[in-house]
Amino acid sequence: MKQPILEVRKLQKSFGGLRALDGINLDIHEGEVVGLIGPNGAGKTALLNTVTGFYRATGGTILFQNQDITHRPMHEIGRLGIGRTFQNIRLFRRMTVLENALVAFRPFADHPLRSLIAYRERRMAIARAMHWLELLQLADKVDRIASSLSYGDARRLEIARALVGEPSLLLLDEPAAGMNENETRRLVDDIAIVRRHVRAIVLIEHDMDLIRSLSDRLVAMDYGRKIVEGASAEVLNHPEVLKAYLGTDTEETVS
Amino acid sequence: MLVGLLINGLVSGALYALVAVGFTLVIGVLDKLNFAHPEVLMIGGFVAVVASGLPPYYAFIAAFATGGLLGLVVEFAAFRRFTDADAKITAGLASMAVGLVLTDLTQKVFGTESVSLPIGGGWLSRRFQIAGVEFLNVQIVIVLATAILTGGLHVLLQRTRVGRQIRAVAESPVSASLLGVNVLRVSQAVFFVSSALAAEAGLLLALRSGAASSDIGLTFGLKALAIMAIGGLGDLRGAMLGGLVIGVLEAFMFHLGLGRLSELTVWLAMIVTLMVRPRGLFSSGTHGLEQRA
Repeated sequence: MKQPILEVRKLQKSFGGLRALDGINLDIHEGEVVGLIGPNGAGKTALLNTVTGFYRATGGTILFQNQDITHRPMHEIGRLGIGRTFQNIRLFRRMTVLENALVAFRPFADHPLRSLIAYRERRMAIARAMHWLELLQLADKVDRIASSLSYGDARRLEIARALVGEPSLLLLDEPAAGMNENETRRLVDDIAIVRRHVRAIVLIEHDMDLIRSLSDRLVAMDYGRKIVEGASAEVLNHPEVLKAYLGTDTEETVS
Repeated sequence: MLVGLLINGLVSGALYALVAVGFTLVIGVLDKLNFAHPEVLMIGGFVAVVASGLPPYYAFIAAFATGGLLGLVVEFAAFRRFTDADAKITAGLASMAVGLVLTDLTQKVFGTESVSLPIGGGWLSRRFQIAGVEFLNVQIVIVLATAILTGGLHVLLQRTRVGRQIRAVAESPVSASLLGVNVLRVSQAVFFVSSALAAEAGLLLALRSGAASSDIGLTFGLKALAIMAIGGLGDLRGAMLGGLVIGVLEAFMFHLGLGRLSELTVWLAMIVTLMVRPRGLFSSGTHGLEQRA
């Protein structure tokens, strides 16, 4: 099999005595959509946070496209090609939709002063930003202030904005959180489109139907470790997974 | 008479605004309070002394560059290491220390007494009249320079990519960072611009009073802190308007014969404003780096 895009090796993240990640291993391969599941506090978001450099790993390594990114700063990891969205949408709310997208344009992101001089890049930047905004059907809303968008549009903009940076790997943290049925259905279509433009997607989701329909493969986590991985039917019915969900006081259930 | 007072007030107000805008920019984008800011203003005054033999626009460029570079020094010495939310107070104290060092160094070089500019009686202090109202050239220079600098800042923030990055970092440094924005570079840009404006204000202030003095940071610069609070932390518009209003108020208080007491105007105004509107006049409540969903 080809070299994985992302290789997480014995990754650890502790906060004082609490081990959010306890030596987790994970490979993400070209072309796949991997669903991360597990009860609250299992370390799913901690994993995304550590991979993107928001948390500093306390042990282990992260290789992205064969480069060690374990201790690289966040903006470098972003530029290397990891994009992400957040469980609670984090847009630049006071900026327009187009401006949100433009922030991510790679040549602009490199250095603020260089970007000041390279004025002729503007046209190209807008064209690239528009390309991704059109892909996610936001083209008619480019001049809206981000805070005025509907929930579904805000989520789409967050994804489009991540895509403007042309990432190889896209990490989506509970993209369907807070969405109604219609919005969720549209999200499924959006992700189907998006996956053609990135090399791999990692997705955290609590809606088991949704994650089953979106993912090629599931990874179940508990206590900062990977407990089971494999095809969705297999993972969702695995006794370890059932135990992990039943053993916690959360109201989520495996359906 | 009244018009003359108004003009004097607006001219002082423009200078207050210039300093307050710099203060508020750092708060609004980086959520940091830069106590070295008034001392950069003070050094701007001494740029006027050093550059007094040169054509005036050299002095403006020199003050901009000096202020900007000092901004980078302040960022490095006082703020770079203290990025955690709970280190904000430490960073503020460190910036105060940097400010005091700047004052001390300036006093070593120029002495503790104020230094007169050798340009007294020159073009800047010439008067002219429009419709019976008397103006000083220096007043026009101050108002024009303030308009250009704050207008330039507005264009920078709203129309350029640096500005877009600055605004992005102001709203969510984490998102901006993940999208590839180097937050450190953006911080440096913010400190550069903010301090450059302060130094320009110091230069203009020295041109108006005909002297540079090492205590101007405390007497004049610190008021900008109050003005920023009045305008609403991090709100550029608030800092701008607050500066102008306080300048005018102060001029009228002085005219009422309150003398030194008129110096209290800004502090009383701050106390009253904050009692009525705890977040300042233009409290959009959007300052700082707090993450909003």
